Amino acid sequence: MSVPQQDLNRDIKLLIIEALGLEDISSQDIDDDQPLFGEGLGLDSVDALELGLAIQKKYGIKIDADAKDTRNHFTSVTSLAAFVTAKQAA
Amino acid sequence: MHRRRLSRLARMAFAVGWPLADGLRDVPLVFVSRHGETPRTFAILSDLAEEQPLSPTQFSLSVHNAVIGLWSIMRGETCEMSAIAASADGFEQGLLEAAGLLHDGAPAVLLIIVEEQPPAAYRDWVDDVPFDYALGLLLTPGNSWSLALGKQDATNPVVVSEPHALSWLRNLLTGQAGWTHAGKRRTWHWQHKP
Repeated sequence: MSVPQQDLNRDIKLLIIEALGLEDISSQDIDDDQPLFGEGLGLDSVDALELGLAIQKKYGIKIDADAKDTRNHFTSVTSLAAFVTAKQAA
Repeated sequence: MHRRRLSRLARMAFAVGWPLADGLRDVPLVFVSRHGETPRTFAILSDLAEEQPLSPTQFSLSVHNAVIGLWSIMRGETCEMSAIAASADGFEQGLLEAAGLLHDGAPAVLLIIVEEQPPAAYRDWVDDVPFDYALGLLLTPGNSWSLALGKQDATNPVVVSEPHALSWLRNLLTGQAGWTHAGKRRTWHWQHKP
C-alpha cells in the first residue's frame, strides 16, 4: 500500500472514532478490512448516517443515500478509502 | 458501544440509577427532568441556524425519553418506563407516577431526577438549576412517607429557594418530620415518620 493510501486509511479511522464518539479505541485497533457494521466494529444504522455526513463534510463529496452501491462503500476502511479516492478524482 | 451515546445528563442519571437497579429485573423507571439535555438542544439549533446538516446521532437522541431508551437497551429492560418534564415540582409529579406504579402492583420503582446547567444562551430563562445534580430513589410500598397536594396561598406565598429534590434530601438528612415545597400554584406537604 502506498503512503498516501495508508494516510487516507488512518485519517478515515480517526474520523470514525471522532465522529462516532468511540471510546477506549485508537486507529490501531481498527483493521483496514474489518467490517465496520454489525459483527466487527459493531457500528449501527445511526452511525452509518453520522459517518456518511462526516465523510461528506471532510472530503467535500456527495453521497447518494439511495444508490445501490453506497452500502458496499461503507463495508470497511479499505472500501471507504477507495470510494473517497474515486469520488475526489471524479 | 452504547455508552458513547450517553450525554453528561444521561451519565448522571445512570450513575445514580445503575447501582440501585443492580441485580434487580423488571423495575419500572420514572425519569424526571424539567429541562432535559439542553446542550444537545442548543447544538442542534446552532447547526440549524448555521444551515449545517443535523447530526443524525444528535437528532436520534433529541427526545425527552432518549435517556430511558438507552437505559432499556443497555440493561435489556422492557418494563414500563416514563420520562416526565413537569414544572418546578417534577420531583413530586414523578413520585406520584411512581406511586401509581406501586399501587398497580410493582414491587419497586426506580425514580431518577436529573438536571444539568443549561448553555449560557438559556440562562436568562432557566434559573432553577444551581448546579448539575441527580437523585435516584428506589421506592417500595410502605407508609413511612406521606405527600399531600395543597394550594399556594396567594397573599403569602411560600417560596422554596432550591430544587425540590435537593430540598427533600436536605430535609431527610437533617431528620425533619415535615416540610412544604411550593410552586407557583401548587404546594406539596411532605411528612416523614422515621
